[in-house]
Amino acid sequence: MIWQQLHSLIGSYPLALRGLGMTAVLSLISLALGTLIGFALGVLRAGDSRTLSGVIGAWVDLIRGTPFLVQIFLIFFILPELGVELDAFTAGIIGLTNLASCFICEIVVAGIRAVPTGQVEAALASGLSRWQRMRQVVLPQAMRVVLPPLVGQYVLLIKDSSVVSAIGLTDLTRVGWLVVQRVPNGLLVFALVGLAYFIVCYPLILLASRLEKRLGAAHAEVQL
Amino acid sequence: MLANFSFRTIVEYLPLFGQGLVATLWLSVLSFAGALAIGIIACGMNLQRSRLLRAPAKVYIDAVRATPLLAQLYFLYFGLPRLGFILPELVVGVLALSLNSGAYIAEIIRAGILSIPRGQVEAGVASGMTFVQRMRLVILPQAFRVTIPPLLGQAIVLVKDSALLSLISVAELTRAGQLLASDRFMPAEAFITVAACYLLLYYGLKGLARGSERWLGSRTVRSRT
Amino acid sequence: MIEFRGVNKWFGPLHVLKDITLSVEPREVVVVCGPSGSGKSTLIRCINGLETIKDGDLVVDGQHVSDRATNMTQLRTEIGFVFQQFNLYPHKTALENVTLAPIHVRKIPRAEAKSAGRELLAKVGLADKFDAYPAELSGGQQQRVAIARSLCMRPKIMLFDEPTSALDPEMISEVLDVMVAVAEESMTMMVVTHEMGFARKVAKRVVFIDAGAIVETGTPEEFFSHPRTERSRAFLSKILRH
Repeated sequence: MIWQQLHSLIGSYPLALRGLGMTAVLSLISLALGTLIGFALGVLRAGDSRTLSGVIGAWVDLIRGTPFLVQIFLIFFILPELGVELDAFTAGIIGLTNLASCFICEIVVAGIRAVPTGQVEAALASGLSRWQRMRQVVLPQAMRVVLPPLVGQYVLLIKDSSVVSAIGLTDLTRVGWLVVQRVPNGLLVFALVGLAYFIVCYPLILLASRLEKRLGAAHAEVQL
Repeated sequence: MLANFSFRTIVEYLPLFGQGLVATLWLSVLSFAGALAIGIIACGMNLQRSRLLRAPAKVYIDAVRATPLLAQLYFLYFGLPRLGFILPELVVGVLALSLNSGAYIAEIIRAGILSIPRGQVEAGVASGMTFVQRMRLVILPQAFRVTIPPLLGQAIVLVKDSALLSLISVAELTRAGQLLASDRFMPAEAFITVAACYLLLYYGLKGLARGSERWLGSRTVRSRT
Repeated sequence: MIEFRGVNKWFGPLHVLKDITLSVEPREVVVVCGPSGSGKSTLIRCINGLETIKDGDLVVDGQHVSDRATNMTQLRTEIGFVFQQFNLYPHKTALENVTLAPIHVRKIPRAEAKSAGRELLAKVGLADKFDAYPAELSGGQQQRVAIARSLCMRPKIMLFDEPTSALDPEMISEVLDVMVAVAEESMTMMVVTHEMGFARKVAKRVVFIDAGAIVETGTPEEFFSHPRTERSRAFLSKILRH
């Protein structure tokens, strides 16, 4: 019986690859876009304009306060009604990128606020403009605080990508769901699905904690 | 479509949403309680010196943290019947949430305990306390103060995660939205209402978190070491 | 060059600067001293806009600092500020610290900025530390880099906010020597400090400030030998004991 199932499983190999590919593509695109947008949002939010900071903050709160599943449903079912033609893949990208941007925005804000005010004052006193201050003095130092949670956030996003299976997107989790209909061994099928995610995520988790240890300890805030 | 956003339908379905909200609250509370129990045990095992006790805890925590909740949910939903456990979806859902959050709570507790400066332990040892006494009188009370905020954060995550249970047909808030969306072809009304309800829960929990930080801050004196 | 006219400042209910009227002429070196909490740091930080003033007028290099039309970013390029905590950029070498603003703000070509930077670092006695990071330098060395950093912008005014207060005693003189050299090159300077030896050597005037108000001004000899008010006397007796 089990050999029959294993045989079926191996037959599902192409489907599994498709699912893996979909998860990979979803994750990579939304991570890349989300990082860019998240950094931009974070810099803006940590800036001087209170209205801008407030608006961004409100949006981020909205995204952090609702389940990703509900967000995906909202995007997939409602945007078409507003005239935006949408397939599941695009909805998934939009949802994940939005999620990534909001969480990364908060990480960046925390990093920027962690830079000692003395540094900002020194840059200010030399006559550096706001943008120059950011680029030359604040952001390089903020990166030390930003990097570990950023990598951690990447792991969370790869895992969150599994939720897009709910709108029919054939990612790794949906492949498991499809396969288990034919090969009724839930333990085996989803153990394998889990293994696939594990292989990708675990090294990243280790990287995040190693980064945290190295960057946290060597916080070369110059000792007086 | 948004021009004829039907508030009337929302009001009509309000009892259903209300039930869903209550159901979500209930299963979140149950799952969190379960997660706390699992987390404390797993953390306790993880802090032991014996490899035999640490290994299963570490495997459990790592496996859960590196895989998606949805995959874990399906693993239990499709897998448990094979092992002979035919359980109602609600039970499977609560189990999945407990096991998932339990791993994160184990790490939160561990971080809290490790954040206590060595000097505290040494003071306890110097006064002649046993391991259990040190834990009970010195370490855990201080760790408690540190772990409450991240624990409340995990509670918020758990409430949001509970939405996934709708995918295995558990009667909760998101499922109420799905029902309205499919029955009346009104996804906008359905999911915006659902989102609003979750935001209510979110701000409620955040308020709780802030209140607890204030309460904890006033009761304990920060040591200056 | 710098002129305070009836300047007042509050931190909430706290009146930290009371009716300050003070002027600094070009090429003048003015030392500001006073007990801690007297407002002397706040005073000097108003000059380059690190603190804002709500009442009164402050004119720096012909521009009204509190006027919204004033381009503070531009004005700051003419004012050098040396902090008590040095505030060197930890992720940049000494030379990079010194040349950052000249390259990006004054748009001086990199090669030119670097040679000017090297020259200045050599002048402050750090010719062998061009590529050292702040973490590798002692406090005194870091402060000297900070001074070079400000000087590299060729400012019209140099401001020093307790430059030696965070230093171990044996490093104070190396920094003061650099400051004396700067003064001897006819730089307009305002220095908040307790270092009376320095004041005696190069200051044209000493301003004593207490509880937000200017209590007494005079030449160094007048102030140190014949303080006119009781508070000045009390202050001097406390710091001159060492």
